[in-house]
Amino acid sequence: MNDTSGAGSRRPVIAGLGLTEMGKVYGRSPAEFAADAVRRAAQDAGLRLSDIDGLLFSNGVGGGVGLTLQRELGLRDLRMLSEVQAYGSTAGAMVQYASMAVQSGMVDTVACVFADAPLREKGSAGAVYSSGLKFTGWQLLDFASGLSGANPMYALAARRHMDTYGTTSEQFAHIAVAQRAWAAKNPLAQMREPITVEDHQNSRMISDPFRLLDCCLVSNGGAAVIVTSADRAADLRQPAVHVLGWGQAHPGYEMGRGTDFGLVSGAATAGPAAMKMAGVGPADIDIAEIYDCYTYTVLITLEDYGFCAKGEGGAFVSSGVLGPEGSFPLNTGGGELSSYYMWGMTPLSEAVIQARGQGGERQVAKNDLVLVSGNGGVLDHHSTLVLSPHPHS
Amino acid sequence: MTVGIMQRDPATTEFFDGTARGELLIRRCADCGHHSAPRCETCPACGSAALDRVPAKGTGTIASWTLVHGRPPRDGGPAPVTAVVVVELDEGPWLHSQVITDAPQEVRTGFRVAVDFERPEGGEAIPVFRLAPDAVSA
Ligand SMILES: [Zn+2]
Repeated sequence: MNDTSGAGSRRPVIAGLGLTEMGKVYGRSPAEFAADAVRRAAQDAGLRLSDIDGLLFSNGVGGGVGLTLQRELGLRDLRMLSEVQAYGSTAGAMVQYASMAVQSGMVDTVACVFADAPLREKGSAGAVYSSGLKFTGWQLLDFASGLSGANPMYALAARRHMDTYGTTSEQFAHIAVAQRAWAAKNPLAQMREPITVEDHQNSRMISDPFRLLDCCLVSNGGAAVIVTSADRAADLRQPAVHVLGWGQAHPGYEMGRGTDFGLVSGAATAGPAAMKMAGVGPADIDIAEIYDCYTYTVLITLEDYGFCAKGEGGAFVSSGVLGPEGSFPLNTGGGELSSYYMWGMTPLSEAVIQARGQGGERQVAKNDLVLVSGNGGVLDHHSTLVLSPHPHS
Repeated sequence: MTVGIMQRDPATTEFFDGTARGELLIRRCADCGHHSAPRCETCPACGSAALDRVPAKGTGTIASWTLVHGRPPRDGGPAPVTAVVVVELDEGPWLHSQVITDAPQEVRTGFRVAVDFERPEGGEAIPVFRLAPDAVSA
């Protein structure tokens, strides 16, 4: 790995990025979004679809993307094809598996795609809950007991952090406000009206402590990246984004006395592993693109990555370091809170844009090292990537 | 409706036989004695698959809480608020559930609770919790 000899030519890079129309885009299936995203990523890279010899895909809550995506894209003679599913950590995981496959020589060029269209479905989980449907199985016992989806689950995690470390809702607000300020500079973002801490505090309570402005958007759409070797990328259209380090963590918390649930996430092991592989530490990171299903998720991840001490995330995010005027570039496109909700593709896509220097009005001047997180389940699954415009030194 | 309508499946049959009797069945490791959650199939302490089902005492402490705000009813009136909690049973396992109370806003971490069962028509009995008389523990 990171070999500077001949094998170095097979070091993995991200060479293409494809984003479909996203948001309240109706009348298209997840499979159609997925195919569109792959086409766009290939075009962005300056590749023909026939150059792709590996395909990894992942589904959101709406499902609908399958192995037939190969045929829908007319891809022939693939040397790798698989669905990947680790919820919000999947995008990072796909890049990791693609990177290893490229390094090994198994494949040359892998498309990794996520697509979802939850908004096509009439009625939310809450509507299902109140419709008199009957539930079965352990998983739905939680639901029947009042845990109507991810909001209360994450709220229980956040509350634990607040009880233990004194973290406050106002501190969460600073994350939402800063990300909205970034989103205002991002033409891809769905929510671009500036907000204040007061707006956050006055927004509708969803699941205490979470208010509306603590919660991510829901979007229809698709996003894809192309992973290939540094050698292959050399004559392609876009500046290569080198994948310098990666890691995953799946804590498997015992839900019982003494658990770290809500206090420490998988970022605490995946982050150091990824940074160690890249030969860097938290102080070297220029830009952090952190999975943000909720404001709280950002806060705990920043602590676990070592950008501040455990328990000091609240003080850190409210110290004035965030936002376009601050010293700590975080979720520079607005994140899932304000730009678009493509699971782990949201932080990953913005990281690629920043590493390429294509952020326009929101471009961060120093972009040598970009950290990307993915988080899935209820802090159950974590992936980390370290990206750079430069090959490993 | 405070709880949903659950139907048993093979994995939950014994558990719901328990709730029907007014018992909250948790797992107890036959090898090391560690208590784990009702749905556990492998002992988190020792890895054993030999887990018995034993009635929990039914008392515990709120380990975390949230107030889930529902949508206001169409006829006006206040939006429903549900106190959803993690209960740490006195034996150690955590249970996701809700506290049935007239004052959900007052629920806090550390409060003592005791199990009760909601018995919705057409469904299995679901464990819920009520604040213990001495809810605010030292
Ligand atoms: Zn055991």
